[in-house]
Amino acid sequence: MVGVADLKVSNKPEEVLVTHALGSCIGVAIYDPEARVGGILHYMLPDSSLDPVKGQENPHMFADTGLPRLFRECYQKGAQKSRLQVKVAGGSQVLGSREYFQIGRRNFAALRKIFLKNNVLIDKAHVGGTKARTLFLEIATGNVWVKIMGQNMEPL
Amino acid sequence: MSLVPQVLKSLKTLPPFPVVAKRALMLLGHSEVSIQELVEIIKYDPAITANILRISNSAFFGLRREIHSLHQALLLLGTQELLKIIIASGATRIFCRATPGYFNDHLGLWRHSVSTALMADLLARELTLAERSISFTAGLLHDIGKLVLSLYVDQKFTEIMEVVETRQVSFQAAEREVLGIDHAQLGGEMARLWDFPDRLRLVIYLHHLDKPEAYADDLVLLIYLADLLVLMFGQDLGADGLAYEGYPDVLRHFHLRERDLEKILLNFGSSWQEAQVVFGLMGNDDGLQCVNRR
Repeated sequence: MVGVADLKVSNKPEEVLVTHALGSCIGVAIYDPEARVGGILHYMLPDSSLDPVKGQENPHMFADTGLPRLFRECYQKGAQKSRLQVKVAGGSQVLGSREYFQIGRRNFAALRKIFLKNNVLIDKAHVGGTKARTLFLEIATGNVWVKIMGQNMEPL
Repeated sequence: MSLVPQVLKSLKTLPPFPVVAKRALMLLGHSEVSIQELVEIIKYDPAITANILRISNSAFFGLRREIHSLHQALLLLGTQELLKIIIASGATRIFCRATPGYFNDHLGLWRHSVSTALMADLLARELTLAERSISFTAGLLHDIGKLVLSLYVDQKFTEIMEVVETRQVSFQAAEREVLGIDHAQLGGEMARLWDFPDRLRLVIYLHHLDKPEAYADDLVLLIYLADLLVLMFGQDLGADGLAYEGYPDVLRHFHLRERDLEKILLNFGSSWQEAQVVFGLMGNDDGLQCVNRR
Protein backbone atom coordinates (compact mmCIF):
# COMPACT_ATOMS: atom_id res chain seq x y z
CA MET A 1 0.00 0.00 0.00
CA VAL A 2 1.40 3.34 -1.06
CA GLY A 3 -0.38 6.19 0.77
CA VAL A 4 -0.70 9.86 -0.20
CA ALA A 5 2.70 11.53 -0.43
CA ASP A 6 4.32 8.13 -0.12
CA LEU A 7 6.82 5.93 -1.93
CA LYS A 8 7.39 2.15 -1.97
CA VAL A 9 10.05 0.25 -3.85
CA SER A 10 10.25 -3.53 -3.95
CA ASN A 11 12.08 -6.49 -5.46
CA LYS A 12 9.94 -9.13 -3.78
CA PRO A 13 8.15 -11.07 -6.53
CA GLU A 14 5.18 -11.90 -4.29
CA GLU A 15 4.34 -8.22 -3.81
CA VAL A 16 1.84 -6.02 -5.62
CA LEU A 17 2.21 -2.32 -4.95
CA VAL A 18 -1.01 -0.32 -5.00
CA THR A 19 -1.93 3.29 -4.52
CA HIS A 20 -5.57 4.17 -4.04
CA ALA A 21 -7.87 6.91 -5.19
CA LEU A 22 -5.73 9.32 -7.14
CA GLY A 23 -7.58 12.59 -7.67
CA SER A 24 -5.42 15.46 -8.79
CA CYS A 25 -2.44 13.59 -7.32
CA ILE A 26 -0.18 11.54 -9.59
CA GLY A 27 0.93 7.93 -9.24
CA VAL A 28 4.16 6.96 -11.03
CA ALA A 29 5.06 3.29 -11.45
CA ILE A 30 8.54 2.40 -12.70
CA TYR A 31 9.88 -1.12 -13.28
CA ASP A 32 13.06 -2.79 -14.47
CA PRO A 33 12.12 -6.19 -16.01
CA GLU A 34 15.65 -7.58 -15.75
CA ALA A 35 16.38 -6.66 -12.15
CA ARG A 36 12.69 -7.21 -11.32
CA VAL A 37 12.66 -4.10 -9.24
CA GLY A 38 9.84 -1.60 -9.24
CA GLY A 39 8.32 1.22 -7.27
CA ILE A 40 5.37 3.56 -6.99
CA LEU A 41 5.43 7.20 -5.96
CA HIS A 42 2.16 8.98 -5.08
CA TYR A 43 2.80 12.73 -4.96
CA MET A 44 0.31 15.52 -4.26
CA LEU A 45 1.77 18.71 -5.62
CA PRO A 46 4.12 19.87 -8.38
CA ASP A 47 6.78 21.89 -6.65
CA SER A 48 8.43 21.95 -3.22
CA SER A 49 9.14 25.68 -3.47
CA LEU A 50 5.61 25.98 -2.05
CA ASP A 51 6.92 24.87 1.34
CA PRO A 52 10.57 23.82 1.36
CA VAL A 53 10.44 22.74 5.00
CA LYS A 54 7.64 20.27 4.33
CA GLY A 55 9.43 19.22 1.17
CA GLN A 56 12.40 18.28 3.27
CA GLU A 57 10.34 16.55 5.94
CA ASN A 58 8.44 14.52 3.37
CA PRO A 59 9.96 14.70 -0.12
CA HIS A 60 7.24 12.38 -1.45
CA MET A 61 4.69 15.18 -1.33
CA PHE A 62 6.11 16.93 -4.38
CA ALA A 63 7.08 15.94 -7.91
CA ASP A 64 10.45 17.70 -7.84
CA THR A 65 11.61 16.07 -4.60
CA GLY A 66 9.76 12.74 -4.88
CA LEU A 67 10.66 11.64 -8.41
CA PRO A 68 14.46 11.62 -7.92
CA ARG A 69 13.95 9.49 -4.82
CA LEU A 70 11.78 6.98 -6.65
CA PHE A 71 14.47 6.47 -9.28
CA ARG A 72 17.34 6.47 -6.79
CA GLU A 73 15.72 3.84 -4.58
CA CYS A 74 15.12 1.59 -7.58
CA TYR A 75 18.75 2.03 -8.68
CA GLN A 76 19.87 1.03 -5.20
CA LYS A 77 18.01 -2.24 -5.65
CA GLY A 78 19.74 -2.91 -8.97
CA ALA A 79 17.52 -1.19 -11.52
CA GLN A 80 19.10 0.54 -14.51
CA LYS A 81 17.75 3.68 -16.07
CA SER A 82 17.89 2.40 -19.65
CA ARG A 83 15.66 -0.58 -18.83
CA LEU A 84 13.01 1.23 -16.81
CA GLN A 85 9.38 1.11 -17.90
CA VAL A 86 7.59 4.25 -16.78
CA LYS A 87 3.83 4.47 -16.35
CA VAL A 88 1.81 7.35 -14.97
CA ALA A 89 -1.78 7.71 -13.70
CA GLY A 90 -3.86 10.40 -12.04
CA GLY A 91 -3.86 14.17 -12.47
CA SER A 92 -7.64 14.46 -12.67
CA GLN A 93 -9.44 17.77 -12.83
CA VAL A 94 -12.81 19.15 -11.85
CA LEU A 95 -14.96 20.45 -14.70
CA GLY A 96 -14.92 24.02 -15.96
CA SER A 97 -12.36 26.61 -16.85
CA ARG A 98 -8.81 25.70 -17.85
CA GLU A 99 -7.35 28.43 -15.70
CA TYR A 100 -8.56 27.49 -12.26
CA PHE A 101 -8.43 24.40 -10.05
CA GLN A 102 -5.60 23.12 -12.24
CA ILE A 103 -3.53 21.19 -9.71
CA GLY A 104 -3.98 17.92 -11.59
CA ARG A 105 -2.73 19.43 -14.83
CA ARG A 106 0.18 21.18 -13.14
CA ASN A 107 1.12 17.94 -11.41
CA PHE A 108 1.46 16.18 -14.74
CA ALA A 109 3.22 19.14 -16.35
CA ALA A 110 5.82 19.15 -13.57
CA LEU A 111 6.51 15.48 -14.13
CA ARG A 112 6.94 15.91 -17.87
CA LYS A 113 9.33 18.78 -17.35
CA ILE A 114 11.46 16.78 -14.93
CA PHE A 115 11.44 13.73 -17.22
CA LEU A 116 12.39 15.83 -20.22
CA LYS A 117 15.35 17.30 -18.39
CA ASN A 118 16.50 13.86 -17.29
CA ASN A 119 15.81 12.10 -20.52
CA VAL A 120 13.14 9.76 -19.20
CA LEU A 121 10.36 8.66 -21.54
CA ILE A 122 6.85 7.82 -20.39
CA ASP A 123 5.70 4.47 -21.79
CA LYS A 124 2.04 4.80 -20.87
CA ALA A 125 -0.04 7.46 -19.18
CA HIS A 126 -3.62 7.45 -17.97
CA VAL A 127 -4.10 11.03 -16.85
CA GLY A 128 -6.59 13.87 -16.79
CA GLY A 129 -10.36 13.79 -17.01
CA THR A 130 -12.58 13.59 -13.95
CA LYS A 131 -11.98 9.97 -12.98
CA ALA A 132 -10.72 8.55 -9.69
CA ARG A 133 -7.99 6.01 -10.36
CA THR A 134 -6.21 3.30 -8.40
CA LEU A 135 -2.80 2.14 -9.67
CA PHE A 136 -1.32 -1.38 -9.29
CA LEU A 137 2.19 -2.68 -10.02
CA GLU A 138 2.97 -6.40 -9.86
CA ILE A 139 6.63 -6.87 -8.94
CA ALA A 140 6.90 -10.42 -10.35
CA THR A 141 5.92 -9.34 -13.89
CA GLY A 142 6.00 -5.56 -14.04
CA ASN A 143 2.37 -5.56 -15.10
CA VAL A 144 0.56 -2.33 -14.32
CA TRP A 145 -3.20 -1.90 -14.02
CA VAL A 146 -5.44 1.06 -13.52
CA LYS A 147 -8.79 0.70 -11.84
CA ILE A 148 -11.21 3.51 -12.44
CA MET A 149 -13.69 3.87 -9.61
CA GLY A 150 -16.99 2.35 -10.63
CA GLN A 151 -15.43 0.49 -13.58
CA ASN A 152 -13.24 -2.55 -14.25
CA MET A 153 -9.47 -2.90 -14.04
CA GLU A 154 -7.56 -2.29 -17.22
CA PRO A 155 -3.93 -3.03 -18.04
CA LEU A 156 -1.73 0.02 -18.60
CA MET B 1 -39.40 8.31 -16.80
CA SER B 2 -38.92 10.30 -13.64
CA LEU B 3 -38.15 8.41 -10.49
CA VAL B 4 -39.03 11.38 -8.30
CA PRO B 5 -42.25 9.95 -6.81
CA GLN B 6 -40.41 6.75 -5.93
CA VAL B 7 -37.46 8.58 -4.41
CA LEU B 8 -39.70 10.84 -2.34
CA LYS B 9 -41.72 7.86 -1.21
CA SER B 10 -38.57 6.22 0.13
CA LEU B 11 -38.18 9.22 2.45
CA LYS B 12 -41.19 7.92 4.38
CA THR B 13 -39.01 5.18 5.80
CA LEU B 14 -36.15 7.56 6.58
CA PRO B 15 -34.72 6.69 10.00
CA PRO B 16 -34.83 9.57 12.50
CA PHE B 17 -31.72 11.73 12.84
CA PRO B 18 -30.06 10.69 16.13
CA VAL B 19 -31.67 12.73 18.93
CA VAL B 20 -28.46 13.62 20.71
CA ALA B 21 -26.82 14.94 17.56
CA LYS B 22 -29.98 16.85 16.74
CA ARG B 23 -30.05 18.62 20.09
CA ALA B 24 -26.38 19.50 19.72
CA LEU B 25 -27.10 20.93 16.25
CA MET B 26 -29.57 23.35 17.77
CA LEU B 27 -26.93 24.72 20.15
CA LEU B 28 -24.22 25.06 17.53
CA GLY B 29 -23.04 28.63 17.05
CA HIS B 30 -24.80 29.90 20.17
CA SER B 31 -22.31 31.84 22.22
CA GLU B 32 -23.60 30.82 25.61
CA VAL B 33 -24.10 27.13 26.10
CA SER B 34 -23.98 25.97 29.70
CA ILE B 35 -22.33 22.84 30.96
CA GLN B 36 -25.71 21.85 32.29
CA GLU B 37 -27.26 21.97 28.82
CA LEU B 38 -24.53 19.81 27.37
CA VAL B 39 -24.74 17.26 30.14
CA GLU B 40 -28.50 17.15 29.62
CA ILE B 41 -27.95 16.31 25.98
CA ILE B 42 -25.48 13.55 26.46
CA LYS B 43 -26.47 11.82 29.63
CA TYR B 44 -28.94 9.46 28.02
CA ASP B 45 -26.36 8.11 25.64
CA PRO B 46 -23.43 6.34 27.28
CA ALA B 47 -21.93 5.38 23.92
CA ILE B 48 -21.57 9.03 22.98
CA THR B 49 -19.94 9.90 26.29
CA ALA B 50 -17.44 7.12 25.71
CA ASN B 51 -16.80 8.42 22.19
CA ILE B 52 -16.31 11.97 23.44
CA LEU B 53 -13.68 10.88 25.92
CA ARG B 54 -11.95 8.73 23.33
CA ILE B 55 -11.85 11.53 20.77
CA SER B 56 -10.83 14.21 23.27
CA ASN B 57 -7.90 12.06 24.31
CA SER B 58 -6.74 11.39 20.78
CA ALA B 59 -3.61 12.99 19.42
CA PHE B 60 -5.86 14.96 17.07
CA PHE B 61 -6.68 17.50 19.76
CA GLY B 62 -3.20 17.38 21.21
CA LEU B 63 -4.22 17.83 24.83
CA ARG B 64 -1.45 17.11 27.26
CA ARG B 65 -3.56 15.81 30.09
CA GLU B 66 -5.66 12.70 30.01
CA ILE B 67 -9.34 13.49 30.16
CA HIS B 68 -11.53 11.37 32.41
CA SER B 69 -14.82 13.24 32.54
CA LEU B 70 -17.18 15.22 30.41
CA HIS B 71 -16.57 18.29 32.57
CA GLN B 72 -12.86 18.10 31.95
CA ALA B 73 -13.38 17.68 28.21
CA LEU B 74 -15.60 20.73 28.23
CA LEU B 75 -13.13 22.87 30.11
CA LEU B 76 -10.22 21.94 27.88
CA LEU B 77 -11.93 21.86 24.50
CA GLY B 78 -14.68 24.43 24.89
CA THR B 79 -18.37 23.98 24.22
CA GLN B 80 -18.35 24.51 20.46
CA GLU B 81 -15.59 21.98 19.94
CA LEU B 82 -17.45 19.51 22.11
CA LEU B 83 -20.68 20.05 20.18
CA LYS B 84 -18.82 19.11 16.98
CA ILE B 85 -17.72 15.86 18.57
CA ILE B 86 -21.24 15.11 19.81
CA ILE B 87 -22.73 15.69 16.36
CA ALA B 88 -20.06 13.59 14.67
CA SER B 89 -20.57 10.78 17.19
CA GLY B 90 -24.31 10.80 16.64
CA ALA B 91 -24.04 11.10 12.88
CA THR B 92 -21.91 7.96 12.46
CA ARG B 93 -25.08 6.01 13.10
CA ILE B 94 -26.77 7.22 9.98
CA PHE B 95 -23.63 7.38 7.86
CA CYS B 96 -22.05 3.98 8.33
CA ARG B 97 -24.03 2.14 5.73
CA ALA B 98 -23.63 0.99 2.17
CA THR B 99 -24.04 3.66 -0.50
CA PRO B 100 -23.76 1.70 -3.75
CA GLY B 101 -23.73 3.89 -6.83
CA TYR B 102 -21.31 6.22 -5.07
CA PHE B 103 -18.98 4.03 -3.01
CA ASN B 104 -17.83 0.42 -2.91
CA ASP B 105 -17.53 0.08 0.82
CA HIS B 106 -19.91 1.01 3.61
CA LEU B 107 -17.52 3.62 5.04
CA GLY B 108 -17.08 5.52 1.77
CA LEU B 109 -19.60 8.28 2.38
CA TRP B 110 -18.59 8.68 6.01
CA ARG B 111 -14.98 9.04 4.95
CA HIS B 112 -15.84 11.73 2.42
CA SER B 113 -18.08 13.50 4.96
CA VAL B 114 -15.39 13.57 7.64
CA SER B 115 -12.83 14.82 5.11
CA THR B 116 -15.12 17.61 3.96
CA ALA B 117 -15.80 18.58 7.58
CA LEU B 118 -12.09 18.73 8.28
CA MET B 119 -11.41 20.71 5.12
CA ALA B 120 -14.24 23.15 5.92
CA ASP B 121 -12.78 23.65 9.37
CA LEU B 122 -9.34 24.29 7.91
CA LEU B 123 -10.69 26.70 5.28
CA ALA B 124 -12.70 28.61 7.88
CA ARG B 125 -9.51 29.08 9.86
CA GLU B 126 -7.49 30.00 6.77
CA LEU B 127 -10.07 32.53 5.62
CA THR B 128 -10.61 33.70 9.21
CA LEU B 129 -14.32 33.11 9.14
CA ALA B 130 -15.68 33.07 12.65
CA GLU B 131 -17.91 30.06 12.31
CA ARG B 132 -15.62 27.08 12.56
CA SER B 133 -17.92 24.74 14.42
CA ILE B 134 -20.77 25.37 11.98
CA SER B 135 -18.40 24.92 9.04
CA PHE B 136 -17.28 21.55 10.35
CA THR B 137 -20.83 20.34 10.86
CA ALA B 138 -22.08 21.65 7.53
CA GLY B 139 -19.19 19.84 5.85
CA LEU B 140 -20.05 16.68 7.71
CA LEU B 141 -23.69 16.72 6.65
CA HIS B 142 -23.53 18.25 3.15
CA ASP B 143 -24.01 14.95 1.32
CA ILE B 144 -26.80 13.34 3.37
CA GLY B 145 -28.86 13.17 0.19
CA LYS B 146 -26.50 10.47 -1.10
CA LEU B 147 -27.63 8.18 1.73
CA VAL B 148 -31.04 7.85 0.12
CA LEU B 149 -30.28 8.56 -3.53
CA SER B 150 -27.52 5.96 -3.70
CA LEU B 151 -29.85 3.04 -4.47
CA TYR B 152 -31.35 4.89 -7.42
CA VAL B 153 -27.97 6.10 -8.66
CA ASP B 154 -26.80 2.51 -8.50
CA GLN B 155 -29.74 1.34 -10.65
CA LYS B 156 -29.17 4.01 -13.28
CA PHE B 157 -25.40 4.36 -12.96
CA THR B 158 -24.58 3.57 -16.59
CA GLU B 159 -27.10 6.11 -17.88
CA ILE B 160 -25.90 8.81 -15.49
CA MET B 161 -22.28 8.22 -16.45
CA GLU B 162 -23.17 8.40 -20.11
CA VAL B 163 -24.70 11.84 -19.64
CA VAL B 164 -21.59 12.96 -17.72
CA GLU B 165 -19.26 11.71 -20.41
CA THR B 166 -21.05 12.65 -23.58
CA ARG B 167 -21.98 16.13 -22.46
CA GLN B 168 -19.30 16.94 -19.88
CA VAL B 169 -21.85 18.00 -17.28
CA SER B 170 -21.44 17.43 -13.55
CA PHE B 171 -22.49 14.16 -11.95
CA GLN B 172 -25.12 16.05 -9.99
CA ALA B 173 -26.63 17.60 -13.15
CA ALA B 174 -26.69 14.12 -14.68
CA GLU B 175 -28.48 12.71 -11.64
CA ARG B 176 -31.13 15.37 -12.04
CA GLU B 177 -31.50 14.62 -15.71
CA VAL B 178 -31.73 10.84 -15.39
CA LEU B 179 -33.50 10.49 -12.02
CA GLY B 180 -35.41 13.79 -11.96
CA ILE B 181 -33.78 14.78 -8.67
CA ASP B 182 -30.17 15.16 -7.46
CA HIS B 183 -28.49 14.43 -4.14
CA ALA B 184 -28.40 18.08 -3.09
CA GLN B 185 -32.14 18.57 -3.65
CA LEU B 186 -32.92 15.33 -1.86
CA GLY B 187 -30.55 16.26 0.97
CA GLY B 188 -32.42 19.54 1.38
CA GLU B 189 -35.66 17.59 1.61
CA MET B 190 -34.17 15.29 4.25
CA ALA B 191 -32.91 18.28 6.23
CA ARG B 192 -36.47 19.59 6.24
CA LEU B 193 -37.86 16.28 7.49
CA TRP B 194 -35.15 16.15 10.14
CA ASP B 195 -35.88 19.74 11.21
CA PHE B 196 -32.34 20.97 10.70
CA PRO B 197 -31.72 24.69 11.24
CA ASP B 198 -32.59 26.63 8.07
CA ARG B 199 -29.07 27.74 7.31
CA LEU B 200 -27.74 24.20 7.43
CA ARG B 201 -30.59 23.00 5.24
CA LEU B 202 -29.70 25.63 2.64
CA VAL B 203 -26.03 24.64 2.67
CA ILE B 204 -27.02 21.04 1.93
CA TYR B 205 -29.49 22.09 -0.75
CA LEU B 206 -27.16 24.58 -2.47
CA HIS B 207 -23.70 23.07 -2.00
CA HIS B 208 -23.10 22.61 -5.73
CA LEU B 209 -23.93 26.27 -6.41
CA ASP B 210 -26.44 25.51 -9.13
CA LYS B 211 -28.82 28.27 -8.00
CA PRO B 212 -28.13 32.01 -7.71
CA GLU B 213 -29.18 32.16 -4.05
CA ALA B 214 -26.17 29.99 -3.19
CA TYR B 215 -23.99 33.09 -3.39
CA ALA B 216 -25.90 34.82 -0.58
CA ASP B 217 -24.15 32.92 2.21
CA ASP B 218 -20.39 32.51 2.60
CA LEU B 219 -20.96 29.23 4.40
CA VAL B 220 -22.46 27.70 1.25
CA LEU B 221 -19.45 28.82 -0.79
CA LEU B 222 -17.08 27.51 1.85
CA ILE B 223 -18.64 24.05 1.88
CA TYR B 224 -18.68 23.97 -1.91
CA LEU B 225 -14.97 24.76 -1.98
CA ALA B 226 -14.14 22.30 0.80
CA ASP B 227 -15.96 19.55 -1.08
CA LEU B 228 -14.09 20.34 -4.29
CA LEU B 229 -10.69 20.41 -2.59
CA VAL B 230 -11.39 17.07 -0.93
CA LEU B 231 -12.20 15.61 -4.35
CA MET B 232 -8.89 16.93 -5.65
CA PHE B 233 -7.04 15.44 -2.69
CA GLY B 234 -8.57 12.23 -3.90
CA GLN B 235 -8.41 9.77 -1.05
CA ASP B 236 -12.16 9.38 -0.57
CA LEU B 237 -13.31 9.63 -4.15
CA GLY B 238 -16.36 7.68 -5.23
CA ALA B 239 -17.65 6.54 -8.59
CA ASP B 240 -18.67 10.14 -9.35
CA GLY B 241 -14.97 11.08 -9.28
CA LEU B 242 -14.20 14.75 -9.78
CA ALA B 243 -17.11 15.34 -12.14
CA TYR B 244 -18.25 18.58 -10.50
CA GLU B 245 -18.02 22.18 -11.68
CA GLY B 246 -15.11 24.35 -10.57
CA TYR B 247 -16.32 27.96 -10.34
CA PRO B 248 -13.56 30.59 -10.39
CA ASP B 249 -15.98 33.15 -8.86
CA VAL B 250 -15.67 31.40 -5.52
CA LEU B 251 -11.89 31.71 -5.56
CA ARG B 252 -12.18 35.39 -6.36
CA HIS B 253 -14.77 35.83 -3.63
CA PHE B 254 -12.38 34.44 -1.02
CA HIS B 255 -9.30 36.07 -2.66
CA LEU B 256 -7.66 32.70 -3.20
CA ARG B 257 -5.06 31.97 -5.86
CA GLU B 258 -4.07 28.57 -7.22
CA ARG B 259 -1.01 28.57 -5.01
CA ASP B 260 -3.20 29.11 -1.95
CA LEU B 261 -5.18 26.02 -2.91
CA GLU B 262 -1.95 24.03 -3.04
CA LYS B 263 -1.03 25.25 0.42
CA ILE B 264 -4.43 24.31 1.76
CA LEU B 265 -4.10 20.82 0.29
CA LEU B 266 -0.70 20.53 1.88
CA ASN B 267 -2.03 21.44 5.33
CA PHE B 268 -4.99 19.17 4.86
CA GLY B 269 -2.66 16.28 4.01
CA SER B 270 -0.90 16.72 7.34
CA SER B 271 -4.02 16.50 9.53
CA TRP B 272 -6.01 14.07 7.42
CA GLN B 273 -4.34 10.87 8.58
CA GLU B 274 -4.88 11.66 12.24
CA ALA B 275 -8.53 12.53 11.66
CA GLN B 276 -9.03 9.21 9.89
CA VAL B 277 -8.11 7.41 13.07
CA VAL B 278 -10.25 9.63 15.27
CA PHE B 279 -13.36 9.07 13.20
CA GLY B 280 -13.04 5.32 13.03
CA LEU B 281 -11.84 5.16 9.45
CA MET B 282 -8.48 3.60 10.16
CA GLY B 283 -7.41 1.40 13.02
CA ASN B 284 -10.12 0.25 15.38
CA ASP B 285 -9.14 1.02 18.88
CA ASP B 286 -9.08 4.72 19.52
CA GLY B 287 -11.57 5.86 16.91
CA LEU B 288 -15.30 6.34 16.87
CA GLN B 289 -17.10 3.08 16.73
CA CYS B 290 -19.27 2.51 13.76
CA VAL B 291 -22.53 1.37 15.30
CA ASN B 292 -24.39 0.47 12.20
CA ARG B 293 -21.95 -1.84 10.44
CA ARG B 294 -23.53 -3.82 7.67
